[in-house]
Amino acid sequence: MKAIRSALLAAAAGLALAAGGGAVAEAAAKEYLLTAAKPNKVVLIDPAARAVEKVIDIPGPGVAPWTVIPSPDGRIAYVVTAHNEAVVGVDLDTGAEVFRTDMNEPENVRSKIMPAVELSRDGTELFVYVSPMRELPGEYQVLDTKVKVFAVADGVGAKPVREFTAPRRIAVFAMAADDQTLWGLGWDLYGFDPKTGEIKQTHKITSGPAPDRAPADILDFWPQFEQADVFSTPYYTVDTTKSLEDPTAYKTGMLTLDLKTGEFVMNEFEETVAVIFSSVVSPARRNEVFSTYTQLSKIDTATDTLVNRIDLPHTYYSINISGDGEEVYVAGTMCDIGIYSTADLSPRGRVEIPGCPDMGVSSLRVIER
Amino acid sequence: MKHITPLNRKAKAVEQAAEGGAVDEVYAMSSIVTGCTATVDPGWEIDPFGSVAALCAPMEADLYGCSDPCWWPAQVPDTMNTYPDWNANAPSAQNDWRELGAVFPKK
Repeated sequence: MKAIRSALLAAAAGLALAAGGGAVAEAAAKEYLLTAAKPNKVVLIDPAARAVEKVIDIPGPGVAPWTVIPSPDGRIAYVVTAHNEAVVGVDLDTGAEVFRTDMNEPENVRSKIMPAVELSRDGTELFVYVSPMRELPGEYQVLDTKVKVFAVADGVGAKPVREFTAPRRIAVFAMAADDQTLWGLGWDLYGFDPKTGEIKQTHKITSGPAPDRAPADILDFWPQFEQADVFSTPYYTVDTTKSLEDPTAYKTGMLTLDLKTGEFVMNEFEETVAVIFSSVVSPARRNEVFSTYTQLSKIDTATDTLVNRIDLPHTYYSINISGDGEEVYVAGTMCDIGIYSTADLSPRGRVEIPGCPDMGVSSLRVIER
Repeated sequence: MKHITPLNRKAKAVEQAAEGGAVDEVYAMSSIVTGCTATVDPGWEIDPFGSVAALCAPMEADLYGCSDPCWWPAQVPDTMNTYPDWNANAPSAQNDWRELGAVFPKK
């Protein structure tokens, strides 16, 4: 990994030299940002060059792509589209549609992907969270939410190889590093057995974590944990021992789930003075967490303190970070990706998608290819 | 509830539950809310601090983040279900807002 990071630094400096050791494959590996934008496009960005590498049209209907899941080899992007009724896999080299599954089902059942999707770490299975509804002559009959599992090898027109029911309101998935637990964040954080769907473990969120705290409030549908292998999200709660008129009763915390060890932490770091939508953990200094909304914040989870906060040019929903932990990227909402120093949050660059299409709620991922 | 009359079975069930004390307290923006009418947050009128400074800025940055996930279908068209192509010709809310029309119930 160190050799790869050396190669990345060399590439970032504009050096055309391979990193030491003559490791050709490693030297060729380079970080890219992967996101999606309107209308129905996948966008690949070279952050070192501060440039968009390519824009690929997603085949089929749809306007607003949402969740973006890269294959482990950085070759395919799986994207929720078609008004939340399909996941399409697009080859990032050729632009070809290599996978597609539509949620439309028989017997007047309509399913929406809402919007948790995840790949197994070996890249063979795709997990899709769906909310089905049966249209009856006089009413909509709400059906159980469930996870549909697909074999990506089934390609275009893939049908589920298995399904299991899951609690409602799950909005983001994160697969554990050993492929043995599929984590789903809903009103609580559920650890599913990806083979059987059994909930093996539940971390309380809405009903916890402490008796003197109101149910934690989380808005998170951004999968952005690939760099540190730590899922994170800000949360809000209220100290119920204090008066609701007391501004110090309102607390902001950071939830982290280590996808390698399973360690789960919810700790408050400030009284709520700012809105934060999503966050990312530094792979280089794992106590450093960066979060975004209309401000960019740096949080130290070793001391549970806010280190720095700056105003951004506009609101950004999503955030990710370079493999060396030196640059943080903010995206989503409009058409530009902001690049900032992790050391002092100073601006380092900006990349605009050609034609300035909105990214909206689409994910921001980092891949190596 | 004396000035409100339930119109359908679900509303009657809610009324019966309320009378029996079986309705939990509603928490604004309770954890993980996505999808049509799943939220009870107030909308673009006010932020969590009772002001407007913490709303998304500019509002065009947030417009499609609210219409595409069907967040506030009362305020912006629901592009997930009923008006899928409302913003199909307006990829940038900031630049193309003139292309965004009002919508009306289909007959």
